[in-house]
Amino acid sequence: MHKLSNKARIAIFIVLGFVIFLISNRVDELRVYQGATVAVYVVGIASIILLTGYSGQVSLGQGALLGVGGYAAALARLHWGVSVPVSFAIAILAAAAAGALLGVAAARLSGPYLAGTTLALAVGLPSIANQFTFLGGEQGLFYDVGFPPASLGEDFTQYKWFFWIAALATLLAIFWLQNVMRSRYGRTWKAIRGSDIAAELAGINIARVKILAFTLSAGVAGLAGALLAMTIGTVSPSAFPLALSFSLLTGAVLSGVTTLGGVMIGAVTLVAIPEIVHSVVDRIGASEAVATNLPSLIVSALLIVTVIFVPNGPVEQMRTKSKKVKSL
Amino acid sequence: MFQFINTLLIGITSGAIYALMALAIVLVWRSTRVINFAQAGQALASTYFGYQALQYIDSFWIALIIAMAGGAILSALIEVIFMRILLKHTTSGAIAGVAPIIATLGLLEIIRTLVTLKWGGADVIVKAPLSNTGFSIGSNTLVFSPMKLAIIAVVTVLLLVFSVIFQKTSIGLSLRASAFSPELARLAGIRVDRIRTLGWAFSGATGAVAGLLLVTNGNGSLSPASLEFSLLLISGFIAAVIGGLESLLGSVVGGVALGIITAFVLMYISDSLFFIAPFVVLLLVLFIRPQGVLGKKGGRRA
Amino acid sequence: MKAFNRRKLVTASAMLAVTALTITTVPAQAFSPKSEVGVSANEIKLGITIPMTGAASPGYNKVPAAMKAYFDYVNANGGVNGRKITLVVKDDQYVPTQAVAKTNELILKDRVFALVSPLGTANNKAVAASVNPAKRGVPVLFVNTGFSGFADVKKYPTTYSLLPSYVMEAKIMAEYIKDNFAGKTIGLVYQDDDFGSDALAGFKTAGVKFATTVGYASGSQSATTAAGWVTKLKAANCDVVILFGVSSATAAGLGTAAALKYAPQWILGSVGGDATTIKAAGVPAGVLYNAVGASFLPSTTDTADEYVSLFSGIYAKAVPGSAFDNNVLVGMNSAFVTVQALQAAGKNPTRKSLIAAINSKGSTFASAGLLPLNYSASSHVGYNGYWFGKYSPTGDLKPDGGKYTLYTTDSGSGAVVKSTYKRPAMPAKGLPN
Repeated sequence: MHKLSNKARIAIFIVLGFVIFLISNRVDELRVYQGATVAVYVVGIASIILLTGYSGQVSLGQGALLGVGGYAAALARLHWGVSVPVSFAIAILAAAAAGALLGVAAARLSGPYLAGTTLALAVGLPSIANQFTFLGGEQGLFYDVGFPPASLGEDFTQYKWFFWIAALATLLAIFWLQNVMRSRYGRTWKAIRGSDIAAELAGINIARVKILAFTLSAGVAGLAGALLAMTIGTVSPSAFPLALSFSLLTGAVLSGVTTLGGVMIGAVTLVAIPEIVHSVVDRIGASEAVATNLPSLIVSALLIVTVIFVPNGPVEQMRTKSKKVKSL
Repeated sequence: MFQFINTLLIGITSGAIYALMALAIVLVWRSTRVINFAQAGQALASTYFGYQALQYIDSFWIALIIAMAGGAILSALIEVIFMRILLKHTTSGAIAGVAPIIATLGLLEIIRTLVTLKWGGADVIVKAPLSNTGFSIGSNTLVFSPMKLAIIAVVTVLLLVFSVIFQKTSIGLSLRASAFSPELARLAGIRVDRIRTLGWAFSGATGAVAGLLLVTNGNGSLSPASLEFSLLLISGFIAAVIGGLESLLGSVVGGVALGIITAFVLMYISDSLFFIAPFVVLLLVLFIRPQGVLGKKGGRRA
Repeated sequence: MKAFNRRKLVTASAMLAVTALTITTVPAQAFSPKSEVGVSANEIKLGITIPMTGAASPGYNKVPAAMKAYFDYVNANGGVNGRKITLVVKDDQYVPTQAVAKTNELILKDRVFALVSPLGTANNKAVAASVNPAKRGVPVLFVNTGFSGFADVKKYPTTYSLLPSYVMEAKIMAEYIKDNFAGKTIGLVYQDDDFGSDALAGFKTAGVKFATTVGYASGSQSATTAAGWVTKLKAANCDVVILFGVSSATAAGLGTAAALKYAPQWILGSVGGDATTIKAAGVPAGVLYNAVGASFLPSTTDTADEYVSLFSGIYAKAVPGSAFDNNVLVGMNSAFVTVQALQAAGKNPTRKSLIAAINSKGSTFASAGLLPLNYSASSHVGYNGYWFGKYSPTGDLKPDGGKYTLYTTDSGSGAVVKSTYKRPAMPAKGLPN
């Protein structure tokens, strides 16, 4: 199996970064804001792909781990005044620690048990913020990454700054994730996903590998949480609702959980569908009730169709097809 | 003392409703090896069926039966139209193990949205058939009313009916055989597909009862946005896990245990632990006795 | 082969990114450089974010229609200096992330002139931090929350509060208890987050002692949990119980207490005290009877009040079949004050002139409120007091003795005093000019 060399990959990521940079200079402020949101989703979805696609575990509570990251970043910056990159690192570490704990539990559980447990976590964890005053209660805490440097000029908007930070963090995260997946660990995870028993026979310590997968995935989710907190300037319990966990999972399925290649697809879909639906509804003049409920209906229907007909995601589908064509 | 008794009674009543949801979850699990997260949506839709029936007829109990029938049909349809295709298409691949979980979550959202479009987002009222006013002992009033007694009676009756069906009838034998080993059951001439659909129908009917009783246990208000149905799903799942996920009696024990524990935590520790307490209970069970209170040994690697 | 595919994937991803960010770009609407954003020759565009769906939406989702009803009434009568007011409504589902996203759409895509009545403390805080309307110069009129922080002119120079703060409400309620229920055993049910802790702070300042307090987790309120509250309150022998929560908690508390034959003197906080919402949640009107409630607006059933009679007439025509409740009244009153602010901002209003107008003339604006608006260059506090009354047998809040007695105070440690304010007469036909 031939793989792209590391040099070629780095080149591709630099080109990608440059393209994003060029785009950010051409589009208006709303689009760069939405771009930042897409970046948050990309990282969040990647964290699920890492977990589900590569180690076969499922988390319905990824939103809670984003919350851990977001709060850690906000607290670190508020109380210790750390720089933004350091607060990101703290977010990653804090969420990874939470993920390790969860992983210990997860290693003993399979599919439905894990799903239910993470679901209960998604509902329970955010309410902790109301129990302790230092977490800021329902109104939450500020998380301020500061204004763009003056050297970028007067017209450089805050959202463009957010977008640059988010895009850079995302590119680095995805690059690193690809490295992980190409490593020995990645291969081990794939083995587990295929069959626990076979992997065990091959001498792989399944529990330890699962815990590691959970820890890394949670760390990535923590980064997504810090990025999310950046785009809304705050963290609060209601910013990490159950719906966020479901959205990320939906995005991961739409992207295809087996590969990082399609990670943009799910993220863009989640951001674009409500907007497309609204512009269509405005044009045909449907009722208010339809307009507010249609996006979730469409996204859910897409989710189900994908799970049934393209369970490995559009990218994998494309790949298998082209493979078939080639081998003919 | 009175506070203690009332706390116990609060726990038993809410536990009885959790138990119904747990039963619904276990019935599907046993027949298909799937945790159906759409169950909360199905219960919501069925409760609205009951509400709709009450617009035409006066009797709550007939409405309950209509809701059960509606819930059973909805559930059976989901199994036939949806789960069969799903399970056929996702036998292998990365998400084969989790595809049903994800798909039923999507289904949950779809049902909830459709209910909102049909019945609107505002509260509607389902009138309780019996008084919710507590019985008095001297100057004290118990948290126990005719309605709450009825709830417990309904749960008991349902459990008995299911026990009889499962233990004494040929349908029950087929259900158990299909759950134990679909291949062997098929060889024995059991129409596994039909039996599975039946399991889903039973589950849908049970969920309908859980939904209607949940609503009438309170002030009777019902809305699609209500958080109570999502919480019911989670409580039901935790109860089912406590009970071992396989046993009908276990889910009832699990439900009541969860109800009582939560009630005591809220009463004697803090009211604000509402969302945390069940989660802690779940973790404790998973760590200390992963096979459930009544489950057999064998771990949770289904 | 694999490499080829991977490259194709990366290219595909990059192209998707490009398409996503550019294709959907909506060309910025052409405004002549002279006129202000959101103001054209015949239109003034305003925007609101509010939960229209989801668990927090019941009750509040009536506000946009109520505001529109009044704006349409003004539009039908010539508008504001010949311009019609339109209101763009966005559903934020009570999630801060959504509130920020939708507010960005309102400001950057719909290009509204100002935001009106955005709801929720966490949401407004996130919008203030991320969208930063102050830096953009976008006025945020009359945020729909009782969190006192938004009245801070230095921090939020373009934001205006309308509702009295929770701290004010608790302090005034404490005064009312001192005057009417001295020596009684008092219990408190509150939401265990900052909404509740603001109230606790107010009660503490006023020196109220509670026999027991029940802090429920937001979202946990139901008949089952309320049975626990009632058991606790009963065990502490409370004669007077304050329900300082959202409507669903008030409804759960009242309904369950009735079922348990527990009938203390209830005092309901204004947030959860709307009779229509409580009754819609299944509580019989009789249970509300004789409970104490508070408001800063006239009673919604006080048809002798000129504002109530005008607003309820307009609303009945605009939204037939929908009950005229306190949420509707608050919405229409906000719209009414908004129209005056727009009038005061001059023939060709700009965002700057709007803010200058509220700062200089805001305290003289007419409104349905029975207390003055306290706007000035150094204060963005709206109403600052309450009147108390009891619910009638049909569940309508009526002032004690048939007369509104108003108390006023601040969000700090200031004393609670009786207000001497007399509301000026309503402008003819309810049309400010």
